[in-house]
Amino acid sequence: MNLMDMSITSLQEQYMEMRDDLKELVLELLNHAVWAPNHRNREPWRFIYITGGEKPDFLNQKAPAHLVITMRNDSNTLKQNEDLAAVFCLIQNLTLLAWDKQLGVRVSFYEWMFDRNYCRKLGVPDKERIVAVLDLGFYSVIPEAPFKPSAALKWSFL
Amino acid sequence: MSLESLIRERRTVRKFNNLPVSEALVKSLLQKSEQLCPHDGESQWRYVYVGTDEARERLSGYISEKVLESRIARLTLSKVIESYQRRFLKIPAYLIAIADTDHDPIKNEEIYGTICRILQNFQLLSWEQQLGMAWITEPIIQNELFYKRIGLKEGERFVGMLEIGYFDKSPKARARTTADRYWTDSVYQ
Ligand SMILES: Cc1cc2nc3c(=O)[nH]c(=O)nc-3n(C[C@H](O)[C@H](O)[C@H](O)COP(=O)(O)O)c2cc1C
Repeated sequence: MNLMDMSITSLQEQYMEMRDDLKELVLELLNHAVWAPNHRNREPWRFIYITGGEKPDFLNQKAPAHLVITMRNDSNTLKQNEDLAAVFCLIQNLTLLAWDKQLGVRVSFYEWMFDRNYCRKLGVPDKERIVAVLDLGFYSVIPEAPFKPSAALKWSFL
Repeated sequence: MSLESLIRERRTVRKFNNLPVSEALVKSLLQKSEQLCPHDGESQWRYVYVGTDEARERLSGYISEKVLESRIARLTLSKVIESYQRRFLKIPAYLIAIADTDHDPIKNEEIYGTICRILQNFQLLSWEQQLGMAWITEPIIQNELFYKRIGLKEGERFVGMLEIGYFDKSPKARARTTADRYWTDSVYQ
């Protein structure tokens, strides 16, 4: 299927289910997703996979598994923004690939992401920061999306 | 083309041919890009498009303006700047993406993340139409003077400038590190 013909709806947590091959599939899809554009091929992304019993209570979105996406810090703001952008490109790649395999990816942000102590608890090294937490799960039912007419682009000319 | 191939084979294109780019096509690809990234509420990002000779001329002036502020640069770099400007004038279309900022760090991250994801969709959808682009963030366009020229407002941030056009040759890929090298299983007890 062409990407042009694909459509994606927001997933609700109650549809997300575990399957034995979830981790393998995520790794397989990530190997495609790392082809995201990233400036000077810095590959700023790192992944921490969390599932079931290992889950801390502050990770309170319901999902069978989570992928914490981190990136290396850079003292240069421009580079930091480029790297952040590249990581979001990778997240989008993964979201598209996963949708095709009935694997839902929800992108979550938490206040504690910006707190070193919490990051340490998750095993994030001090030279890295958390970009987002992906909530992962298979869905057997594709939720009906209410029809939303596409919003007009905010468009202007130089 | 499968989604896997599309994602792996998309390349950043820096050399374009002379085929014109249709603004209507860019808009429809962007619209689809936004749909493929569901989000709540009104969009907190906007686009500035450059597609006419006149606008290209203006943009290319803005890009070199910062360098030309320096008298030494004017004297020693004038040839370089001229060739730079000629290159900028030949690029069929530009799309500048601008996002709102927010005092709440979560909101701020979410807005920036969403527009970056939309731009990735746009790169992929364009590749499917044989339309190439380069996402540019060079320091030469990331300074207060350039921001002012493109109309960046207080409370907004520059996300990127995409150079867009058709191309004759697809650039070579640079290999990527496999994901398992960057993967850890949770250590949380
Ligand atoms: C946020 C971001 C900023 C970038 N900035 C530039 C840039 O300023 N100049 C440039 O030539 N390429 C830029 N690129 C393109 C990358 O250099 C390119 O993605 C990388 O070399 C990998 O090549 P590929 O996109 O063909 O896979 C940027 C890419 C991203 C995602």
